[in-house]
Amino acid sequence: MAHVVKFHPSLSLLEQYSEGTLTPEVALVVAAHLDFCPHCQSLHRDIEADLACSLAQQPAAAAEGQDWQQMLEAIVGTTAAAPVQKVVANEVSLQVGDHQFKLPRSLQRIAQKRSKWLSLGGIATAKLPGTADHHLSLLCINTGTEVPLHTHKGMEITLVLAGEMVDEMGRYAAGDLIINTPDHTHTPRNLSDEPCLCLSVLTAPLEFKQGLTRLLNPLQRFFY
Amino acid sequence: MLDPSGLTGHHGADISHLSTCMSSSNEITPVPALGQWEEALGVVAVHRDKKAYAELFSYFAPRLKAFGIKMFGNEQQAMEMVQDTMLNVWQKAALFDASRGCASTWIFTIARNVRFDMLRKKQSRKDDISADDLWENGDYPEQEGNHSQQWDLYLVAEKVAPYFDALPPAQRLVMEKVYLEEQSHQEVSEQLGIPLGTVKSRIRLALDRLREAIDGPRS
Repeated sequence: MAHVVKFHPSLSLLEQYSEGTLTPEVALVVAAHLDFCPHCQSLHRDIEADLACSLAQQPAAAAEGQDWQQMLEAIVGTTAAAPVQKVVANEVSLQVGDHQFKLPRSLQRIAQKRSKWLSLGGIATAKLPGTADHHLSLLCINTGTEVPLHTHKGMEITLVLAGEMVDEMGRYAAGDLIINTPDHTHTPRNLSDEPCLCLSVLTAPLEFKQGLTRLLNPLQRFFY
Repeated sequence: MLDPSGLTGHHGADISHLSTCMSSSNEITPVPALGQWEEALGVVAVHRDKKAYAELFSYFAPRLKAFGIKMFGNEQQAMEMVQDTMLNVWQKAALFDASRGCASTWIFTIARNVRFDMLRKKQSRKDDISADDLWENGDYPEQEGNHSQQWDLYLVAEKVAPYFDALPPAQRLVMEKVYLEEQSHQEVSEQLGIPLGTVKSRIRLALDRLREAIDGPRS
């Protein structure tokens, strides 16, 4: 992972991640970005220290009275947890067609819960557990393939996990985080000679804009 | 070993004992100076010391409760979060590693994770994304960047003055003391009664926020 990550979450997005107030699906994309990005890891730790210090410094009444006493006694009545051996999970890799991808730590468990891969043209997609409001999926764009020009009815967050792609705004590689809102229109393309694997969160289906690709709109569910 | 006198006579209003762990890498002492809570956690981990634990409990439990009420908006869930968090502190004290951060940071991250998993269970999404997926337990190596130096010039040039007021109050206070009153990080830590590591964290965050205000989001 020698590539230097260029596209990062904003500080306010990182703050909500550190605080634990982001939607789980969005938090997962930020967590996966951190697995690639030492700079954001360091900011995240700073934010945690800052929040924790505010928590520790706020004034609060002493823990006196029966309720607190009972809680304390219940806790110290328990025995220590067995020493936790760090579970070194077998690294899960992801097979798409005849290509194998390594996954960042944060996705290792959840990627095993993916649905079957569905393919259309040079694009394959597999859903991960999400909610009605936030659809989480893996997207694999083949060499020389483009996702037709589309806009977003909601928000689209994409994290590149492997490979490279370009759109009208830039060139993205592993770790780069791209956020598109309803006013963005773009045509992501894979011009490299390796497939490009992405993690994507969508809050509403894509809408295709041009010519025949508008025929794809009934197929929105494929991308959502 | 813990000096037992260090664990007595501290009450909520007194913040002078707050820990000063996490010495900076450019200081001469290689061993971080442990604060009261870091030592207390060590004693709990090694000796299952109930008195040291009761001190931690008495300080952190009410503060966690206030935090929980702010996050959940009700006392019942707040207390459930306090109990679960403080149970983890008792049972897993051995996992605390002072070289990775302060006791308060460790306890905060446990509370955050407990709260996240409580919300998830309430929505009966037991199979989905969990706190363990999202937050690696302190396993990221500490990065000691030097990106603060390059910003000193900007600060001198008062280019950032208009953005200073928009900083969160806690970060602005630390910045004023360091850059306007020219106090050392250690002095600010002592004066405000916050850990040295937190002084450094707040400076880095404020600098990043100022940079974002001037340059736009990093990209």
